[in-house]
Amino acid sequence: MRSALALARKELQVYFTTPIAYVAFMVMAFFAAQFFTGSVDAYRTFVMRVSPYEAQGVLERLNLTDVVVSRLFGSVGVFIVISAPFLSMRLLADEKRARTFELLMTSPVRPFEIVAGKYLAALAVMAVSIGIVALFPALLSLFAKGAQGGSAVEWQTVATGLLGLFLLGAMCMAVGLFVSALTESVIVAALVSLIVLLALWVVTLFTVGAEGPLRDFASGMSASEHLMPFLQGRIELKDVVYYLSFVALGLWLTDRAVEGHRWA
Amino acid sequence: MIEVSHLTKRFRERVAVDDLSFTVRKGEVIGFLGPNGAGKSTTLRILTGFLPATSGTATVAGFDVFEHPLEVKRRIGYLPENPPVYVDLTPRACLELVAGLKKLPRGGVRAEIERVAHLAGIEDVLDRVVGNLSKGYRQRVGLAQALLGDPEVLILDEPTVGLDPLQIREVRELVKGLASRHTVILSTHILPEVAMTCQKVLVLNGGRLVDFDTLDGLIAKHLPGRKVTLDDIAFLEEIYGKLVSPAGAMPAAAVASAAGDKPPPYRDLA
Repeated sequence: MRSALALARKELQVYFTTPIAYVAFMVMAFFAAQFFTGSVDAYRTFVMRVSPYEAQGVLERLNLTDVVVSRLFGSVGVFIVISAPFLSMRLLADEKRARTFELLMTSPVRPFEIVAGKYLAALAVMAVSIGIVALFPALLSLFAKGAQGGSAVEWQTVATGLLGLFLLGAMCMAVGLFVSALTESVIVAALVSLIVLLALWVVTLFTVGAEGPLRDFASGMSASEHLMPFLQGRIELKDVVYYLSFVALGLWLTDRAVEGHRWA
Repeated sequence: MIEVSHLTKRFRERVAVDDLSFTVRKGEVIGFLGPNGAGKSTTLRILTGFLPATSGTATVAGFDVFEHPLEVKRRIGYLPENPPVYVDLTPRACLELVAGLKKLPRGGVRAEIERVAHLAGIEDVLDRVVGNLSKGYRQRVGLAQALLGDPEVLILDEPTVGLDPLQIREVRELVKGLASRHTVILSTHILPEVAMTCQKVLVLNGGRLVDFDTLDGLIAKHLPGRKVTLDDIAFLEEIYGKLVSPAGAMPAAAVASAAGDKPPPYRDLA
């Protein structure tokens, strides 16, 4: 474990001394801000249009968290999918290209310690990225008040939403780490993991015309479908299992890929 | 300390190391000598557990490198051909990483880093970024990484490449200083280096062992009747030429010395 932590520390040093993490954070902050202001605007126009008709029932059921925060989180999901490959691309591919992989492989560490160290650092960067998004509901709660004078945002729903995003990020990083273990080229690693993750994100689009088992299979495989319950404030076992299976599979395959170097 | 028996490594059709057997005793300094592509680096990579052998075995301190890789890696300090340094980090951060990977006791890491930095002569650049350092400094950072934790066995793949003549001398002194307590394998194609630092020489050519003997043994075998001192290192070029060149094609230096000219004492056949 000691060596995994040492490696995670080194990996974080590299993330934050090179521009890559900052660029990813900036992309996340920029687009999240756009979506946030857009959703708030849409909410305001909607409320103004409904008010004259005394539709109190509608207004009472309207919820800032569902309309603004969950929509924001839903849109942020795609930016996690897009930014993760660029955060994970150099994890192992760059070690091989720079020949530092030889140092890791000739140090007294097990392959899994290498994988764990790399993955921990990747998760930490992903957590910061999602932490930036968490600032927007916090901003909302500062300036908005609830109908009954309580907090304007439902923090439980925000928390499950953030958990969902983090699980999505964890899955993307695990897939990216595995792809990075297969190549020496960071560009190839980024592109291949981007294709895989985007395909998982939009897989339901491929089966729009289909019905029955095929459609069920597609929505079962879809990373975006499994995010929805989290955004609505529900933690469902099947969704947690979906993301964690990808994490486990990604880490196991990476471990095998690193171990495989000792055999060939 | 190190035992290699019938080691063979094939890359598809190409045989890089062919039925190599040798033994290195504790405290010996062995020079690996051979032309480019002779299989020096491949052999060292097998010994350090980076590459598997196609057949044959290698043991370090009684542990098989393939069956017990962790036990072997714990005992080896390895400087690969390309120094494995992180260009985005400082030498200090690189050394801290290696200390963590080698699981050195936490409390002693600082002092240990100072010690190896002093040995490798990189104290002044510890907090600069490796990417901005010259090739020689990177090489020495790699050397410091190998020395960290004071491993019993040091495997150095061309440790003096990229260093200036003064630094080369320092590294040679360093290796000689390590000799008594450590077992050192040093690969090089700089012949004076072998004569000055190593007790025994192992000559590889085309993946095969062509000779493995002490310097005196080599002289007696290949230059019978010649009196050579260690200051006059050209003898090694002559022996090397005999061992690795096809018959008749003698290196220029050897031809020159055969003609009676005394070649300059420092000569690099690389």
